[in-house]
Amino acid sequence: MASYYDEHDCEPDDSGVHRNLDLLQFARMLVENSDMLDFDLDLDFDGFTLPGERRAPPASIAVVQALPSIEISAKQVQMGKKCPVCLLEFDIHEKAKQLPCQHQFHSGCILPWLKKTNSCPVCRHELLTDDPDYEEYRKQKEKSKEKEARVESLHNSMYT
Amino acid sequence: MSNIAAARIQREFKEVVKCDEAAKCAIKVEMVDSDCMELRGEIAGPPDTPYEGGNFILEIKIPETYPFNPPKVRFVTKIWHPNISSKTGAICLDILKDQWAAAMTLRTVLLSLQALLAAAEPDDPQDAVVAKQYKEDPQAFEDTARHWAQVYAQAPCNNPGCSAKVNQLVDMGFTETASREALSMHSWDVEKAVEYLMS
Ligand SMILES: [Zn+2]
Ligand SMILES: [Zn+2]
Repeated sequence: MASYYDEHDCEPDDSGVHRNLDLLQFARMLVENSDMLDFDLDLDFDGFTLPGERRAPPASIAVVQALPSIEISAKQVQMGKKCPVCLLEFDIHEKAKQLPCQHQFHSGCILPWLKKTNSCPVCRHELLTDDPDYEEYRKQKEKSKEKEARVESLHNSMYT
Repeated sequence: MSNIAAARIQREFKEVVKCDEAAKCAIKVEMVDSDCMELRGEIAGPPDTPYEGGNFILEIKIPETYPFNPPKVRFVTKIWHPNISSKTGAICLDILKDQWAAAMTLRTVLLSLQALLAAAEPDDPQDAVVAKQYKEDPQAFEDTARHWAQVYAQAPCNNPGCSAKVNQLVDMGFTETASREALSMHSWDVEKAVEYLMS
């Protein structure tokens, strides 16, 4: 069955699939580092249900300001390229903001989104944020992913 | 409603109407009011699931801030599923909450809901009773989900066993809906259902 990920021709990232595990890990990390508890989380520890609204913080203001503006080419217009947020086709020579993942948007469409959360609306590529706690969480997540990869390669080298 | 929200919904509406899935009658969307704030969605129960052959109606409310915030979606058709409230139709699905992305559309939402019917996530439940049954008594879950799909979503071939038990309680003076809910919650144990209805 077609899903969001098929539709956008990309793989679900781990943060989506293992969201609950990530959140639990995040919660544990916060408990372990009590100096970080001022981070507004509202976790309710009533078992395994963590509250639903847990969106990553806005993109870093400096990073957003530095996003390149590119000009839409005749070829792109010919191919009917659309802004993924408003779904309008781009006009020739129109300026678009480009994210590091190469996805392009009207600036009036992408800027409000990045004020809300730090990821590309199409592929969820994450931009840096100005939130030190979130960046710390991301670093931890990255580390545990590396650890998993190391365990896996060790496992593979032992059994192959 | 803001211009971007209304304009986008109109474009998406056309996209759903002419998409492949609509041609196969798998998904459908209709305007409820002229300013596009409210829509009515329909999804077909996926094949090889207890929902197969059923037709499920959804209430879709578009916020002013769409597409920066997700649409508010709820099942109007009663359904027995771990991630959907059997009482209110409220849905627990990450993309309708914190995993929403502005490039998602009505079509991706409807297809994701269809995928949810095919693959429940009992560890992230909306209805704790249903989720417990799903994990502990898969056969009872399947019977119940199928029975609800037949009664509420016009899925074919009624399960005579379930219907007979519902009628048994109706004959005792309970309403049909209450009888069905009590039996569903207690995995079709008539004695336990009666006990529950009497308490
Ligand atoms: Zn746009
Ligand atoms: Zn992207």
